[in-house]
Amino acid sequence: MRASIELGIRHLLYNRPRLLAMSASVAVGVVIVFVEMGLLLGVLDSQALIATLVRGDLVVMNIARVDLHRWDKIDAIRLAQIAAIPGVARVMPVYMDHVNLRDAQDKRVRRIIVYAFSPDDMPLNVGDPVRVSAALKMSRSFMFDRLSRPIFGDIKPGKSIEIDKFPLLVSGVVTMGVDIVNDGNIVMSAGDWLARSPASKPIMGVIRIAPGADADKVRNEILARLPPDITVLTPNELVERENVSTLETTPIGILFTIGMIAGFMIGTINCYQVLYTEVADNLPQYATLKAMGFSDEFLRTTVLAQAALLSGTGFAVGLTISILADGYLAFVTLLPIKIHLVSASLVCLATIALCILAGWIAIHRVQAADPASLY
Amino acid sequence: MSEAKMQPFPSTSSRVATPTVDAKGVGYAFDIDTAPKQVLFEIDFVLAPGEFVILTGPSGSGKTTFLTLIGALRALQSGSLKVFGSELAGLGHKGQREIRRKTGFIFQDHNLFEALTAAQTLSLTMELQGVQIDKRAARSRAAALLSMLDMEQYLDTKPHALSVGQKQRIAIARALINNPPLILADEPTAALDSENARLVMGILKHQAESEGTSVLMVTHDSRAFHAANRIVNMIDGRMTA
Repeated sequence: MRASIELGIRHLLYNRPRLLAMSASVAVGVVIVFVEMGLLLGVLDSQALIATLVRGDLVVMNIARVDLHRWDKIDAIRLAQIAAIPGVARVMPVYMDHVNLRDAQDKRVRRIIVYAFSPDDMPLNVGDPVRVSAALKMSRSFMFDRLSRPIFGDIKPGKSIEIDKFPLLVSGVVTMGVDIVNDGNIVMSAGDWLARSPASKPIMGVIRIAPGADADKVRNEILARLPPDITVLTPNELVERENVSTLETTPIGILFTIGMIAGFMIGTINCYQVLYTEVADNLPQYATLKAMGFSDEFLRTTVLAQAALLSGTGFAVGLTISILADGYLAFVTLLPIKIHLVSASLVCLATIALCILAGWIAIHRVQAADPASLY
Repeated sequence: MSEAKMQPFPSTSSRVATPTVDAKGVGYAFDIDTAPKQVLFEIDFVLAPGEFVILTGPSGSGKTTFLTLIGALRALQSGSLKVFGSELAGLGHKGQREIRRKTGFIFQDHNLFEALTAAQTLSLTMELQGVQIDKRAARSRAAALLSMLDMEQYLDTKPHALSVGQKQRIAIARALINNPPLILADEPTAALDSENARLVMGILKHQAESEGTSVLMVTHDSRAFHAANRIVNMIDGRMTA
């Protein structure tokens, strides 16, 4: 077996430009898969963004808010009730709404998401807590999300920007992110927000449990004591629920999945074609091996070794192009598009498996080689 | 080429005296299921160990077809054909492989893998012996054989850097490296100049005389005739002499 693997590898490595062209054929499929997967995961990550920013042990929301893009709010009294439950150290309301931001230069007004919370609590991780807390404590100010799309104009700390027709000072920047619908975010203190919108209700409450308390027990206690109009989740559960909700309620899951399947199919077909061509080009050599007495297994292993090597080089080329492509897409869309280690590993395994499959199909061409035709 | 260099391989002198090839009433037709075209008729032929036979005759007379039957590259249709004492009629794939492994094939085209150096080609062929061969030993064995063919300076050369004649000599070395008891050659000197043709014929003749290797060679090259013990003519699928 060593000799057949060695022959396959030597044969493939011999002509480097041809190997590069063959690898590029396989890489086309890999790139399609990575781009589709990157977009899917980017959309999912962006949709669940706020859940990943939670600085707490549990999150309480209105039970009707089945995904994070619904606006069902929670009664403030519920947060007060939860604060009284043993094991709960703190309950921190987070407000969320749309406001109108006026670009000082082009005078256009654009809608932007506002998040508001207490600078003393910092229930969301939007930057260095000490720096953000200090900036939020400045009266009549807000912080601008530096990852917002550049449609809002030149917003820098120290500038005065009109929010809902009231001039507010930009006291700093935070780091959050956008999704496919929302173009940007600002953050202000709950005090400032309630001063201009006193009837606001929180969109959620972030719960920190007391040291030594068990999060599950505290959650069960909350659910047992409060009316059934709330739901309590850990931040991770919230991320998972949001991902499932996005996949179930929108067509993006199936769209990107079909795209990934198409990528795998294109990669497999390309791999088969280049292997078939390679085998066909060297059919007299393979027929000679058969005539000399080498077994079908030897020939199979030779072709499969080439398929395996091709999957590796094709994946490497595809990964390199995909990192660049996903980086460009992330830059253009500002979505959190990146290649995750787990997804890269899965694509790598799938590439190897599908190239082996393509090689297995191409083997039939080798087995059809007729040694009698050599004379 | 020294005599000492002629013995770097396992000897086959212990071969039994049964004919290497024993054909009785061998017939063959192409397209037997659709429009049969008979190309061999009742061929009787014996090739003894150490015998060097040249098969000649006009194109289409069935020489090559007969060669492929002996090499177990085609399935026998009628008659009896024994190679190394084994009946080829009804022989399975495994049996066919065994016959092929013991046969040195020299084709008209060299069919070398472009990726392999001469040493690697010969080393790969040595794998057919089914025993693990030390890389250094395999290399020195390849070098010894190539030196007989005046090719030892090309041990680490790949085919693209060789002339057609040099490639053909590598292909001949490939057929000889395992010291097979039977060599089937189809126009092995066609691509060679006179000097190299003489060299190759000398090696084949020496292989037959000193190792007891049976050589059956199809050729129209009259330069080769002097090397043979016997010349057999084939016309229209029948042996005439």
